[in-house]
Amino acid sequence: MKVKRLWLWAVAICGCAFVLPSFARTDDLSSLSQDSNQWVLPSLNYANTRYSKLDQINTDNAKDLKVAWTMSTGALRGHEGQPLVVGDTLYFQSAYPNHVFAVDLDDYHTKWQYTPRQDEFAVAVACCDLVNRGVGYASGKIIEDALDGTIIALDAATGRVLWKAKNADPKLGQTVTSAPLIVHNKVIVGISGGEFGVRGSLTAYDLNTGKRVWRAYSMGPDSDVLIGPNFKGPRNAGINTWQGDEWKLGGGTTWGWYSYDPNLNLLYYGTGNPGTWNPSQRPGDNKWSMTIFARNPDTGQAVWGYQMTPHDAWDYDGVNEMILANLTMSPGDPTPALVHFDRNGFAYELDRRTGKLLLAKPYDPSVNWATGIGSDGRPVVNPKYMTKAGVNVKNICPAAMGNKDEQPASYDEQTGMFIVPTNHNCMDYQAFTVKYKAGFPYVGATLLMYAGPGGYRGAVIAWDPIKGQIVWSDHERFPAWSGVLSTAGGVAFYGTMDGWFKAVDAKTGALLYKFHVPSGVIGNPMTFMHGGKQYVAVLTGVGGWAAIGLAAGLNEPTAGLGAVNAAQDLKNYTNLGGTLMVFSL
Amino acid sequence: MIRRFVALIFFAALAVASFCSPLAARAQETLRVCADPDYMPYSDRAREGFENKVAQAVAGYLGEKLSYTWFSMRNTPGGFHTSGGFDEFIHETLRSGKCDLVVDVPYSNQDLLTTQPYYVSSYVFVFDKAKGYDIESLDSPALRDLKIGFETETPPEEGLIMRGIRVGNVPFDVGGTQGQSPAVMLDALRNGRIQVAITWEPAVGYFLRNSTYSRLAIVPLPNSRQRGAPEQYIFPMSMGVRPGDTALQKRLNAVITTHQAQLVSILNGFGVKLYQPNFNPY
Repeated sequence: MKVKRLWLWAVAICGCAFVLPSFARTDDLSSLSQDSNQWVLPSLNYANTRYSKLDQINTDNAKDLKVAWTMSTGALRGHEGQPLVVGDTLYFQSAYPNHVFAVDLDDYHTKWQYTPRQDEFAVAVACCDLVNRGVGYASGKIIEDALDGTIIALDAATGRVLWKAKNADPKLGQTVTSAPLIVHNKVIVGISGGEFGVRGSLTAYDLNTGKRVWRAYSMGPDSDVLIGPNFKGPRNAGINTWQGDEWKLGGGTTWGWYSYDPNLNLLYYGTGNPGTWNPSQRPGDNKWSMTIFARNPDTGQAVWGYQMTPHDAWDYDGVNEMILANLTMSPGDPTPALVHFDRNGFAYELDRRTGKLLLAKPYDPSVNWATGIGSDGRPVVNPKYMTKAGVNVKNICPAAMGNKDEQPASYDEQTGMFIVPTNHNCMDYQAFTVKYKAGFPYVGATLLMYAGPGGYRGAVIAWDPIKGQIVWSDHERFPAWSGVLSTAGGVAFYGTMDGWFKAVDAKTGALLYKFHVPSGVIGNPMTFMHGGKQYVAVLTGVGGWAAIGLAAGLNEPTAGLGAVNAAQDLKNYTNLGGTLMVFSL
Repeated sequence: MIRRFVALIFFAALAVASFCSPLAARAQETLRVCADPDYMPYSDRAREGFENKVAQAVAGYLGEKLSYTWFSMRNTPGGFHTSGGFDEFIHETLRSGKCDLVVDVPYSNQDLLTTQPYYVSSYVFVFDKAKGYDIESLDSPALRDLKIGFETETPPEEGLIMRGIRVGNVPFDVGGTQGQSPAVMLDALRNGRIQVAITWEPAVGYFLRNSTYSRLAIVPLPNSRQRGAPEQYIFPMSMGVRPGDTALQKRLNAVITTHQAQLVSILNGFGVKLYQPNFNPY
């Protein structure tokens, strides 16, 4: 009797399994990401265009947008990143403590949620608020990068933990904030933070087992950097562009976005600044910090690398997204290109097969630390804005946060323009110099950031990649720290730090719609279809580096040397929060 | 006959002596150290401080004798000083050529030529273990309710100002006051004048070994970008020589490369805690 019932239950369960909404159980993320109804990769597709073919919302009806539904994320602090939609489920990850939710798009109930147990020391060492840039998806699994460096694979249907891996050690000052990218059953993960002795690296874990497959460091001997005989570039530059063993002082972190070209089988990403803040401790070019790398995703071997800012003295991390686009630089000459809006204020356009520079021009009119990028690919530094120990150099543009930080741009395939969220701050900077007050070491340094020429601190621009020019520019009061989404409906979306969600005409930048959301926006809008309707969703919840004073609870105006006052008045416009906002017609 | 023989031997001995004398002179070279006569745990005239012990070890490794030029690194209490302090110390000792080596300075300081670092330490929070304060960095909310003692003109002072944590704090100027012991901050903790002290660990590690202070917890301050501006609290420390004296710098680097473990164990004996387990100099 009992056994018969067991069989009945087994059949019933198995039957249900076939009837459940399909998770599109395919390993081919490349083709799955072509389905505009879903959003299965953090940046929509491997090329990181953030351009959707959906056009139900268009320039005529965008003014009728309204809030469709909302949901609390259960966390305050900065919400960077974006949700994913796979089938009928929306997945997102909050700021620390990094809750992951699977939300039913029919009735918005939570199918499952998961909060990792983490090493809380990560909170003390996370440099730039407790942000997270989103989960990854592949083959029925959701991959979460937790702040303390734990990588967790969850069953997308049930939230059950499948495996865990450890990619960072907070006790060494390391954390993880980036979104994972899955390529060929490999989970690609980066790393943040760490000073003195922590080298950045990009690591691949096996999607099914969580075992480490390869790790490529950003400096050190070629064997560590995974530079082999096929690499187009100098040998062991990860050692011999440093003095002595100073490459071990680390840096070159990898906390930005990753893109992939399935035809070339190349993975692209950028590395951050060299580990020690004091440039006088590390004479030399400091390769491979500030570098755009192209690697084989299966082995990690580097094919080419291009260093944008040798011997960085301004903190212009090179980790921003690499957007893959085919550009016809001259008539009849389409080139598979990579476009990167760097912190240093220059837009770099490279042939992504070889790393050859096609064009490099400033994408903000105020850039002054370098007068241009030479034919050898190196910046022509203006000596007036070279940082010096003991000298407070004033008015360097851009400020250390750059003309753009991690907030991702979009390649509007329809107009051929890039729509780029930018920062427009400048800084006074006295380079790090280490001093001694009998028995007590200290640092002489100043970093003061403020609005650039014109008095505005941010702008969303349209960039013509062929001419290398700004086409239109919408100024914002604060740095434009959210990502941009562009769509075939001709509408581009972004959010602002002072709490506005905006829809603009992608051709002109004219405002079509805006809504005041519960907290400033540093997340990235995404779009999907459900039940025949197009939705645009964005995580709200201000924080991140640009809003440090607010996020960390500073109540008094800052004073004294070294204070960052670039967003002191942010609290007059917004407050902390954590809400998923979803809009539709 | 004998006189000629004696003369021969005399001249032979002279020749031998003059041949040997350059070697003899080298064997008698002296490592001339510039140090403070009254600044424990760093150094004192009785050679009890950790700079003295490290200097002694280094001289031994170099095969040299040791001599000192004494000058205070700190200002006279109540005196009017324009430069004073460490700058005046360097001017009067190293720069004047009276001595050649300063044992303990921050790596890459530009007033001297520094060797590779031989240890790394950190500014630390010090407080009564029993109070159980939840303090991990300057951003810990618990700090806002506590009376904090700090050393002026050091990174923690900047960090407190940046965060608007000022009311009720007690400044100390141990590094600028001749004759004052770093233990004054620990005494202020014991008598309740302050509830947390923020200081450079090697300044107090020596006193913390004393059972009088055994109830004190030590928590290092992590380097931070939380406020946008980089804040450094962890410092690699080196020896320093006169700018241009690359010959002595090289010899000292060789000593550090070979004997770093021994030098570190001298420091450990003084309660100096190292805070960067992965730091690997040359």
